[in-house]
Amino acid sequence: MTFRFQYQDVIRRPNPMVTINPLARGSNKVVDLQDRVDTLSKSSAWNKQMKMWQALGKKVDLSRMPKVGMFELGKIEIDEDIQRVLDDKHCADKIANLRVFDPALLQTVQCILTSNGKLISIDGQHTSSTIAGLIAAGMVEGVKDWRTFKFPVQYIETDNLAFARRAFSILNGKGKKKQSAYQQLRNAVFIVRIDNDISDDEDVQLEKLVSIAEKNECFPIEAFSNLSKYPGTFSNIATFKSCNDEEVELATSWHNKYFHYESMHVSTFFIFRDICRAFKSAKLPITDKLKEELAGLVQCLFGDLGQYQESVTRAHRLWTTKRYGYQANWDDDAYACALLQLYKHFGGEERVAPNIIDRFDDIIDFFDEDILSLAA
Amino acid sequence: MYYLYLIQSPKGRAGFGIAKNPQSRNRDYVAHCGDIVNFPYLYGGTIAHIKKIENVIKEQYIDNIWHIEDRPLEWLNNNISVDQLKDYVDTLIEERHYRVKLIAKNYNFTQDVFNDLLT
Repeated sequence: MTFRFQYQDVIRRPNPMVTINPLARGSNKVVDLQDRVDTLSKSSAWNKQMKMWQALGKKVDLSRMPKVGMFELGKIEIDEDIQRVLDDKHCADKIANLRVFDPALLQTVQCILTSNGKLISIDGQHTSSTIAGLIAAGMVEGVKDWRTFKFPVQYIETDNLAFARRAFSILNGKGKKKQSAYQQLRNAVFIVRIDNDISDDEDVQLEKLVSIAEKNECFPIEAFSNLSKYPGTFSNIATFKSCNDEEVELATSWHNKYFHYESMHVSTFFIFRDICRAFKSAKLPITDKLKEELAGLVQCLFGDLGQYQESVTRAHRLWTTKRYGYQANWDDDAYACALLQLYKHFGGEERVAPNIIDRFDDIIDFFDEDILSLAA
Repeated sequence: MYYLYLIQSPKGRAGFGIAKNPQSRNRDYVAHCGDIVNFPYLYGGTIAHIKKIENVIKEQYIDNIWHIEDRPLEWLNNNISVDQLKDYVDTLIEERHYRVKLIAKNYNFTQDVFNDLLT
């Protein structure tokens, strides 16, 4: 049986992302707070919220605003029913890490100050413990006793421990807008590209991965961004970061060569990461012929990897139900496995690493008949 | 076989959708509208390629999707005609080699002999 899914070229058009890629350079734009106030005043969500405030006659109670003061570390108490158990590794490897420690990056400790003068920590115990530990270890010149060392504390005057508990949840995630994976990636890239700072190996490596992707006209973007309509964009940053240089090169160059007219589906990284690792173990080359025939198979049977994902997740669901009697959770390993099984099923002659296709044996029997009959 | 239909509302708004059974789908539109509604263009092809085209339309016309309040619909803003949409679909099929063909024009469910409509 001859492999019959020949890849057909698609006209290449200039990719707008090459010029509008937000990671290529910073915006060099600095705005004052008025800009943000203007944004809020035009926001329907904001105006809806303000209408509710007006309807209920609610006003900001300034007496409840937090205060900031310098307090001796020895006065801080940690209520173990509110704060977590101290993570010593977090103190040692993250905050006090030799490569990154900078006192300028320490954050204020958050406390409540009760009417009887107790200062109870609700957030920042790792910071206060680390600085106290550094003093105790003799790492702060001129300071002998951490107990009398004054540290900035942001506090709220209250005797309400329920408030403290709620505040701890809010300060540690619930109610706080976290930095997205893309924003973290952008920071790392800008530290290297704009600030020319190569002191952090992780930032340098991330910038390198982004550069490899950009060379192949693939661009990380924020999830749900307006840019997602442009070719080569992808937003699953975690999977991208899990790949090494070679895997990113393979995935993005394949996408750019064959599917340059599409945004980049996350399965591309899973597929080529798994192929790269398995073929390396099996000491098999990933030939140009294999890459082209896989592209032909995806193009002819599915149109793109997005549609392939729909089909393979359905097949996986049916396969697990038949095999185990229940619907097991999706497994990302099925992307590469099923694709290579389809390749062999339709007569692909290039050698493939057997440990990939053995994983979900005969999963392709559960693909839609409509798809399997296309080989006929 | 799966189907992509382009539709035009009685007032001329262009829309689109996909269906396994276009006759039943057309009947639904007629029931809602209270009048015969044609699918000016009906395409047939593999399920994956039909779904893909629908997704591309949604993606590329994202700024021209008609919304009711915040809900996006499978209808386009008034400035896009059904023939413009057809041109876009035809270009997609040709350039990207989708296994999809135009199989009927001005189809509605009363034309119950489906095979007669094949162009």
